Amino acid sequence: MNKMANLVEIKEQKDIARKTPIEIFPDPKIAVVLTNQQSGATNSPLVSVGDIVVIGQKIADSKERISAPVHSPISGKVIKIANVFNSCFEYPTEAIYIEGNGNKVKDKTLTPISEAELKDTSNEALIKRIREAGIIGMGGAGFPTSIKLSIPADKKITTLIVNGAEGEPYDTADERLMIEKTANLVRGVRVIRKLLGNPKVIVVTKESKVEAIPKLQEAFGKEPETQVIAKHLTYQQGDASVLQKAILGYEVPPGKRSYEMGTIVQNVSTINAIANAVFDGEPLISRVTTLNGDVAKPKNLLVKIGTPIADILSQNNINTKDIGNIVVGGVMMGTALQTIDAPVTKRTSSIIYFTKSTVKKDKKATACIHCGRCLNACPVRLQPIAIYNAVTKGDFAKAEKLWAKDCLVCGTCSFVCPSRLPLASTIKMARQ
Amino acid sequence: MSNESPNDLIVKPAPHITGSMSKTRMMQYTFFAILAVTIVSIALWSEVTTPSGWNLGLTVAIGALIAVGVAVAVDLLIGKVTSDSEVNTWSAAVFGLIVINCFSLGFPTMAVGLETGVPVEAPLVFYYIALISVIGIVVFKKVMSLAGRKLVNPAAAAKFLVLIPTLPTTLITAFHLKTGLLQVPALTAGIGATSIVGGNGAASFGTYLQSCYGLPSASSPASIESLMFLAKYHGWVGGASSIAVIIAGIALFALGRKYFKWKITASYLIAIAVLSLILSLMFGDVDLTTRLFFELFIGSSIFMAFFMATDPATTPFSGVGQIIFGVGLAVLTILIQTFMGFFGGSLLALLIMNLTVPLIDRVRIGKPFGR
Repeated sequence: MNKMANLVEIKEQKDIARKTPIEIFPDPKIAVVLTNQQSGATNSPLVSVGDIVVIGQKIADSKERISAPVHSPISGKVIKIANVFNSCFEYPTEAIYIEGNGNKVKDKTLTPISEAELKDTSNEALIKRIREAGIIGMGGAGFPTSIKLSIPADKKITTLIVNGAEGEPYDTADERLMIEKTANLVRGVRVIRKLLGNPKVIVVTKESKVEAIPKLQEAFGKEPETQVIAKHLTYQQGDASVLQKAILGYEVPPGKRSYEMGTIVQNVSTINAIANAVFDGEPLISRVTTLNGDVAKPKNLLVKIGTPIADILSQNNINTKDIGNIVVGGVMMGTALQTIDAPVTKRTSSIIYFTKSTVKKDKKATACIHCGRCLNACPVRLQPIAIYNAVTKGDFAKAEKLWAKDCLVCGTCSFVCPSRLPLASTIKMARQ
Repeated sequence: MSNESPNDLIVKPAPHITGSMSKTRMMQYTFFAILAVTIVSIALWSEVTTPSGWNLGLTVAIGALIAVGVAVAVDLLIGKVTSDSEVNTWSAAVFGLIVINCFSLGFPTMAVGLETGVPVEAPLVFYYIALISVIGIVVFKKVMSLAGRKLVNPAAAAKFLVLIPTLPTTLITAFHLKTGLLQVPALTAGIGATSIVGGNGAASFGTYLQSCYGLPSASSPASIESLMFLAKYHGWVGGASSIAVIIAGIALFALGRKYFKWKITASYLIAIAVLSLILSLMFGDVDLTTRLFFELFIGSSIFMAFFMATDPATTPFSGVGQIIFGVGLAVLTILIQTFMGFFGGSLLALLIMNLTVPLIDRVRIGKPFGR
């Protein structure tokens, strides 16, 4: 059972968004595709200004193993390669600007593999497909999925956890995928199961996702060695290692990859992208993202990667004069944009809009009152305030002794702090 | 931490939402909990008229206004004249309420007619309360904050400092025993029989409690249980009614369960109960409840347990630390009251325990996730 009684409950704020079907957002006039959206090796552009590209054409890649290419989301002409502020990095990084020409021509490099062909397809070919499709962890981490699923031959994977917890408040993209693309997720899980040597599958979701639960039970009920678990999970339990504790009971030692425990945890959006890449030959050029926050109508949008966030705001009647901030990738762990010209990336699980007056309500940080709330809120049992004090004094050796490196940067300590100290971001800084 | 980006977006680090509990709200909850206790004390003590002719309830009310008013005013003034001092009105107001509630007022019946030189009556007490409030906020809140963190409970430290000159006559029983002033019995002997030491009239520790805490105008003495638990008419203002303190304290903990350090209160009270029972057995008390009720429910014990020993700034941050702190506070309190004969010794115990907090905060039981 779940012994982590101290996990902090955070309001979900998903009531409307979770009931709103996925809507296709129109292609951008100019797509701004970041050359690097993954964690790992750095990509270089494969195109130059003036080149004509088609939908799904690879436009940037790296020769390094731990990497993932990016593809053109639209058909058109490369008009500019320049740095742009974005949600993946704290500083402007290179992006390829593509002006659309309205053509529907698709790149055919990746050929669809039928479901019947799957069992005869080699694991090497599947891993190559996942890499060539540019798939990375879409839950936020951005780690290349081809690497994550390349398990050393001597390691046996016994369990695949399908992570449908979607812990971040406001976010409902995964939830809508579980409702609307259930069959596709089943196909994706089959691919991963084959890659991992047919482990048992545990599909995990929250009991609050009432529309998704029966769909998952129905679709996965017929699959071999597959179990659907819908239980109460807190925000922190959306994290892969905390989730393993909640479902399988053990704690993954920090620094150990989860496959060393015999388990792989895969996020729903990523599984959806794997299914599209394998069976439809589609590289990762679009994703579902939730538009939520102080918006009149929360939405789940199927949006092309590279779409400027400004386009999404203007087409949803959001007054740019009243923007306090735009948070991309989750209100607990995501990034506040420096500019609304930043594009959607593979990691943009949500776009949360807060008005000026909402942001102004935030209190300034004041001195610590030593209440100790952050200590019993930390899902990995660190002492956030002690690490924070060490870091602010410049004593990084002490911060390390207090296991600062184990921090998940889940933000719970900052969330609960009555003095509004930036505990999580300070500890994150010390980790780097 | 935030700054404005080129198009006026407010850029700050994650997380971008916060919980509902804030420092100000914690202070507001605490303020109203202690205010409720104060109002009960005012109501109970309005029945008492002191030898100088003052109504004791009115004395508490005026004393509370002085303590809170002085604290808030000094806090604002310091905020005005210093460059970066944090003005925290609610925190100052809470401090003011604690000052009045940990002040001893009222006149034990047995002392009527004796010249004690102790400030227990208006208008003299008003000067003392104002002085404690000023010293507490300036020296123990503001100056200590400059040094990084508060080391000791400001109200306790200021009271101790201001009242040092009167300590022998008020609290140290050894002095009483020598002078035969207040017939204070020693706790280092069995309670209940005729073991009274220094006997100057009081027949037992029980009758001592009755004459100390009873309503002076009452025709017959109330039971020890009802005095200690329901209504006392002497001692700490905040301890007038133990049950009021317990109800207000538990309500406060329930409102901010994860933010208030109820583990200190719980471990302190449990340790006090266990230790006083052990002492009862050691000294051969005839009646096991008198010592227990005395140690648990005198104002300096029950009010401190809920509202002073739980002061966030001067107590350990971890749960284990809080339990160590509560037990340590109980041990010191019992030792001081029993063997030094210093009734109200929890004040000294608290100051000592406060100083151990930086050390207790280094105690860590259990390892992080997966280690």
